[in-house]
This record gives sequence, structure tokens and C-alpha cells, in this order.
Amino acid sequence: MSKVKKKHPLADSKRPNLVEDIFPYSLPPLIHLEGPVTEIIDGKSVEFDFGAVKDRPIYITDTTFRDGQQARPPYTLEQMVKIYDLLAKLSGPNGVIRQTEFFLYTKNDRDTLDRCRELGHTYPECTGWIRAVKGDFRLVKEAGLKETGMLTSCSDYHIFQKLKFRSRKDCLESYCEVVDAAFEAGVRPRCHLEDVTRSDIEGFVLPFVDRLMEMSEQVPEELTAKIRLCDTMGFGISYPGAELPRSIPKLIYKLNRECGVPSDRLEWHGHNDFHKVHVNAGTAWLYGCDFINTTLFGFGERTGNPPLEGAIFEYIALKGDLCGINTMAITELAEYMRSIGLPIPDNYPFAGRAFNTTRAGIHAGGLRQDEQIYNIFDTTALLGRPPRVAITDKSGADGVAHWLNEFFGLKGDDRINKIRVHKLARWVIDQYDVEGRLTAISDQELEVKAKELYPDYWEKYKSSK
Amino acid sequence: MATVEERVKAITAQVLKLNVEDIKLEHSFTADLGAESVQSIELVAMFEEEFGIEMDEDAALSVEIVGDAIKFITDVCKEQGVEVEE
Repeated sequence: MSKVKKKHPLADSKRPNLVEDIFPYSLPPLIHLEGPVTEIIDGKSVEFDFGAVKDRPIYITDTTFRDGQQARPPYTLEQMVKIYDLLAKLSGPNGVIRQTEFFLYTKNDRDTLDRCRELGHTYPECTGWIRAVKGDFRLVKEAGLKETGMLTSCSDYHIFQKLKFRSRKDCLESYCEVVDAAFEAGVRPRCHLEDVTRSDIEGFVLPFVDRLMEMSEQVPEELTAKIRLCDTMGFGISYPGAELPRSIPKLIYKLNRECGVPSDRLEWHGHNDFHKVHVNAGTAWLYGCDFINTTLFGFGERTGNPPLEGAIFEYIALKGDLCGINTMAITELAEYMRSIGLPIPDNYPFAGRAFNTTRAGIHAGGLRQDEQIYNIFDTTALLGRPPRVAITDKSGADGVAHWLNEFFGLKGDDRINKIRVHKLARWVIDQYDVEGRLTAISDQELEVKAKELYPDYWEKYKSSK
Repeated sequence: MATVEERVKAITAQVLKLNVEDIKLEHSFTADLGAESVQSIELVAMFEEEFGIEMDEDAALSVEIVGDAIKFITDVCKEQGVEVEE
């Protein structure tokens, strides 16, 4: 590597540069991409235009009721209808959450689907999910669905070890028969290439996709096969230079440009076994998949799927606009999911009870001066969640003052200064130094002390409620 | 009536749990007398109560030396019309 050492003179200034073109605060930090990006594929330099994503019609799809539900006891009908309604609210009028998929096997599955559709939302469009079994199309047809996902597992782990096919050819022919059955039933097949990141790409996946593309030429556009790339075990890798079958860039290139699967018929479905799930989904968008498949709060089989709410903020960051998305619905969904027993860790981004709660006194000091210093974006406006301070022995008077002002809802000059909170700050310190406490102090405990030590503010607070 | 110096030292001794005679004008509240973050706030709050004054939070908390605090409080008392024994 050649030396590129150079001097970097200080750009002195008496005014801060808050880099607001990237960090507008009213939106999540924006992702500005400059192209082209180059990847070496089969010895050739191939260019990808990441910047185009701003104008490409990319979307989010949801599998909370399918993959999400495989990882937990079943939702009740009423719960699913409520969640679907909130998904539609979050999605907004432009249908950023384009589709969600349903099981069709039990009466409860089918009743739920009917009840969701009765709500009359255009988006998310309801689709099905079935095994690659011809008879299952009767269920799809009876349910009146236009599209269904179907298992077409691709790795030899599945073809030979699980499904017990005698050869890849037998397997391919069997899958194609089911796709034909879908066409005959007038249902669009979405072929889920299970375990694709552990498959023989050149030896099985591409020949199968070539065949699907040939078959699709014989049917109307609305029936043409879609492809879902299922990173079933979370093996996918986003880094340029990674090799197949794990490379997401190369995988998408092969399907998109060699097999000719249009971007609007390509979808990415990931798993989080290696903590790569969100960035892998974002990578799929950039390299040419128009759809990324997600679940609410990432809840799904084993380690879960790309979190839907993470995809929402990624979408806004890439587009530079809310695009009609109602982000407040994320908080509503989180509260609802908690109320029906879905565990969301306190530090879980965007939705955990403490995702924007700071515990360090020095950070609380920053928050007290200007919340933008330690808040990722305007979480009050976008999520209805003002930044908070959790009180421990590390909180200091700054933390206590921030908690008290937030609790009483005091703004600007009305805020209580640090000196006035000394009695509460002393009580907090004594909890640890004198009482030997080892846990954080709860809001409920602080409320009791606030009432005792600041009766005037308490009265005003009570009367404003 | 006690002087500002005597009153400041008395409060400092009370808050920081020290003997008055151990507190010198050149002492730093934090480095020499061991005042922790919350104790610094308590000192300012107690000085306000003792002298019946209101001090600017940032300015008061930026005073580090006992002698400087005596001068600072004396000046604030004069500004706010509070009589004190210098």
C-alpha cells in the first residue's frame, strides 16, 4: 500500500459545525451514498450504484405472523388483527411495509387472514406461506390470495439430508412442478430459496432460477415467480470480496444480472445467528434486492430476523424522508407486544424501555445542556420517547436534575437547576454509600421522594395531569 | 456577627465533615478538602441559605478555592443588598 501521508490543518472556528446535513435531528441520521462501488466477480470488475437506492422503489415486507410466530406460542386471532392494524398504521399511505405473510393451515389461520383483510388496508398486502406441495395451492386459492411463499430449499443439507431427494435433478423437477401448479391455480409463487447461503450456487441455485425465469416467460407478469433469498442460518456476509455462497453482493448480482431476475422480484430474508442480520438486509437493498423481509422487534426462529423497526429507520435514512411512515406506531407496537408477553429487552434499539436512557452522570450533564448531545435523533417527535436518565450512584446531580425536570415536565427557564436538587441528590448518594444499595432507583421510588422534597412542584405537576 | 470567612468555613466543615481549623483559605474544595460532586452542590445550596442570596449555578460551581468562594459570596451579597461582616 503506498503512503498517502499528508498534513491536516485545523479548521478553526468559533461556531460549532453540527453536521446537520447528515444529522438533522428531526429525522434519523441520513445515509448519503456515493457511487459507484466495485466488486470483483468471476475476475471481472462489476459496478453497483448505491446512490440509486434513494430513488429506487425499495420496500419492507413482514413475516411476524410466520417466521415470527414459529419462535413463540401462537398469537390469538385478536392479537394478530391488532398487530396487523398497527403494521398498516406504521407503514403509512405509501405502503412502505408492502406485504405480510400468513399460515393457511388451520381454521384459526384462515379466520385471522379474513379478519385482517376486513380492516380494508391496502398495505401490508396479505400473502400466504405453504410447503412446496401441489395440494396446498387449494388453500391459497380458497383464501383468495394472489401470492404465496413456498419452500424451495437449495442447499444439499436440505435437498439430500432433510428432504431425501435422490438427486438434485429430482429436486429441481419437483419444485418446478409445484411452481407450475401455482401458475395453473393463478397464484403467484414466491420461491423461498432456503439455506441459499450454504448452497451450490453455480451447480443448483442458478440453474433452478434460470428455469424459473423461463417458466415465468410463459405466464402473465402478475404471476411471474418471485425469489426470496433465505439466509436460513445467518451465514450471509455483506463485505465486498467475500466468496460465494456467503457473499450477499455476489449472490444478488448472479440472480439479478446473470439470471435476469428483476429487482422488484427479489427479496432478502435473514437470520441473526452471527449478529449480522440488519446490516445484511440493508446490504441486500443496496446491491439490488427491492424487498427485505423482517419481523417486529426481530423476533423469529432462533436468533430472529431483521428487525422491522430497524429497517424502517434504515429506509428513512436512505430516502432522507419519512415517506409517510408513522414512526410513532413503533412505540404503540412495542407497548402492545409487551402487554401480550413478548419480551423486549430494556436496551433494545428504538423500542426497549431504556433505549434512550443514560445512566452516567457525565452524559446526564450533557443531556441537561442540550439533549442532542446524547440522543440519537428527536425520539420525542418520532417515537414519543424523550431521552431519560436512570438514577444510580453514577448519575450525579446532573442526572437527578434531568430526571426531576423530565418528571415534572419543566422546560427552559422553568427547569429546576442543579443546586435546587441537592436534597434529592443527597438521598440518592446515601442510598448507595450509607444503605449499601446495589440496584438502580426506580421511577416509583423517585416519585415518592420528589413529592416529599418538592411539594410545590408536585402540586403543579398533579394539577397539570 | 461572624465574618463571611468564618461562616463559609463553618458551612464547609459541616458539609464536608471536617474541623473548621483544618480549612485554609488556599484550599481547593475538591483536591484538598475532598468535596465530591454532590457535596459541591450542597455547599452552594447551603451558602445560599446561610447568606439569603441566590447565586448563578455555573459561576458558583466554577469557584474552586475557599478564599475565592469568600470573595465571590461577598460580592454577590453586595449586589443583592445583603449586609455581611467582612
